[in-house]
Amino acid sequence: MKHRERVLAALNNETPDRCPMQVSFTPEFAQRLRQDMNLASDKLHNPHGGGNTYELERALGEDLLLTSVGWANSYYQDVADYLDEWGIGWHSVEYTTPYGVGRYTEFSHHPLAEDDAINTYQPPDPNRPELYQEAEWVLRTFKDEYWIVGVTVTTMFECAWALRGYERMLTDLALKPELAEQLLDIPYQYHLTAAKKLTQMGVDMIWIGDDVGAQNTMLISPKMWRKFLKPRMANFIAELKSINPQLKVAYHSDGNIYPIIPDLIEIGLDILNPIQPASMDPTQLKRDFGDHLCFWGSIDEQHTLPFGTPADVKAEVLTRLETLGKNGGLILGPTHHVQLDTPIQNFWAMINTITDTPYSGS
Amino acid sequence: MEAIVNEIYTNVVEGHNKVVITKVQAALDAGVAAPVILNEGLIPAMTEVGRLFEEGEYFVPEMLIAARAMQSGLAILKPHLIESDIKSIGKVVIGTVKGDLHDIGKNLVAMMLEGAGFEVIDLGTDVTPEKFVDATRDKSAHIVALSALLTTTMQSMTATIQALQNAGLREQVKVMIGGAPITQEYANMIGADGFATDASRAVATAKALVLQ
Repeated sequence: MKHRERVLAALNNETPDRCPMQVSFTPEFAQRLRQDMNLASDKLHNPHGGGNTYELERALGEDLLLTSVGWANSYYQDVADYLDEWGIGWHSVEYTTPYGVGRYTEFSHHPLAEDDAINTYQPPDPNRPELYQEAEWVLRTFKDEYWIVGVTVTTMFECAWALRGYERMLTDLALKPELAEQLLDIPYQYHLTAAKKLTQMGVDMIWIGDDVGAQNTMLISPKMWRKFLKPRMANFIAELKSINPQLKVAYHSDGNIYPIIPDLIEIGLDILNPIQPASMDPTQLKRDFGDHLCFWGSIDEQHTLPFGTPADVKAEVLTRLETLGKNGGLILGPTHHVQLDTPIQNFWAMINTITDTPYSGS
Repeated sequence: MEAIVNEIYTNVVEGHNKVVITKVQAALDAGVAAPVILNEGLIPAMTEVGRLFEEGEYFVPEMLIAARAMQSGLAILKPHLIESDIKSIGKVVIGTVKGDLHDIGKNLVAMMLEGAGFEVIDLGTDVTPEKFVDATRDKSAHIVALSALLTTTMQSMTATIQALQNAGLREQVKVMIGGAPITQEYANMIGADGFATDASRAVATAKALVLQ
């Protein structure tokens, strides 16, 4: 079965030969993995600081290949402090794990921190042809075999809070709603332009994303989400599907966003990612929404992968196949980039269990 | 309760920063004692904010604006509270641990603790074990509160507890921890004294720890 056929079957709620898989890693974990697999270095392509390369993804047997346009590509541009093309400042901070030292890039400057800065702000141009060269190459080279995903995550809320500052953006939603609308429109317009272009180029799926869930509850109220984010998301999805009605749209939000899932289904969402099992019960999600929504992710990156045993990881994958993945509707993978603190045996337990376990009855 | 104190309470709960500033000053000018404004206005207001959060009526934005209104009122009261020799119910040294720059959870906990009558010494983010040790010693803290968002950085919590132990401070200070991947099980494993899932519940944890 071709990778893309496997994904399409799963998204049609049919059972392919095995569950499709998409896995990303931090650059430091990817380096360990390349050594473990004896692979040469290749160009990184994943957003949000991911360490994925097409070589690594294909060697692992992943079924989806991603190509990203947008602000999320601003992560991990340099070890030294830097300003990205949006004027957002970044600072690198080191952490230590049993497997070595890694680093994350975090915000250090917000160009729209002052209220009136928005009046003169010029966002980058999403129409530059060079932004789409990688997507063009990926589609030309891999679309026959793989399911190609155009990535425009940090679609509005996350990019807006990077421009404005996190707490400032959150309080703007309550205290300065008109300014909040203006702030959200900047990344919304940029990423909509990019997503439309990627859709026209022929990607199979667009992946949008904005974290609105905290670990146990939503970060903002469902009412606030419905006021500020839902209308924009609804229009975003509608515009893409008017270009290609067969296009699938996936949405990422960390944490617990249970209260707004019916709204997401209403506005045409096809796939929800990443399904953190410590935040939302996968079995309940399948029962409540499995007829209308597919799922992507669900292998616990907060507990099982870093701190469990290979047997724990295997058991979790098998449980997901019997629950969230019952009768298809699931793309398996970790709930975030696999982090440097993950034992390599746990990683292989995840990959091997996914690739070696046929769907029953297939 | 004085009517103006009641108004301060309502405006803190609703997050009206400027109104709180005006009303606290007006209350002081009218001769209402600073401890009364604190204990019958600001602190009960933040208790109510915590309750609304736990009930799922308030979320982070509402909590943030209420906490800021409380802090504005408290800033005006502070010189008067010192004059009245009012003591906090405990001193808390708080920070996000080494390697981690995420601070909204830590900031919310700090604000809620302050709103409950604790003195809070906020060390910020990416705080080394040595800085926690120094602040605990210098401020004679009762509680050290550690925050982490990431599995890769939560391991700095163990190093911080060890550093407190090595400095001979572990017996005199309680350690509480929190953050997205943190569980009670993890707290038990690394020898922390308390754990809370969110900023509101962190207040109850801290109060229980100072009463021990």
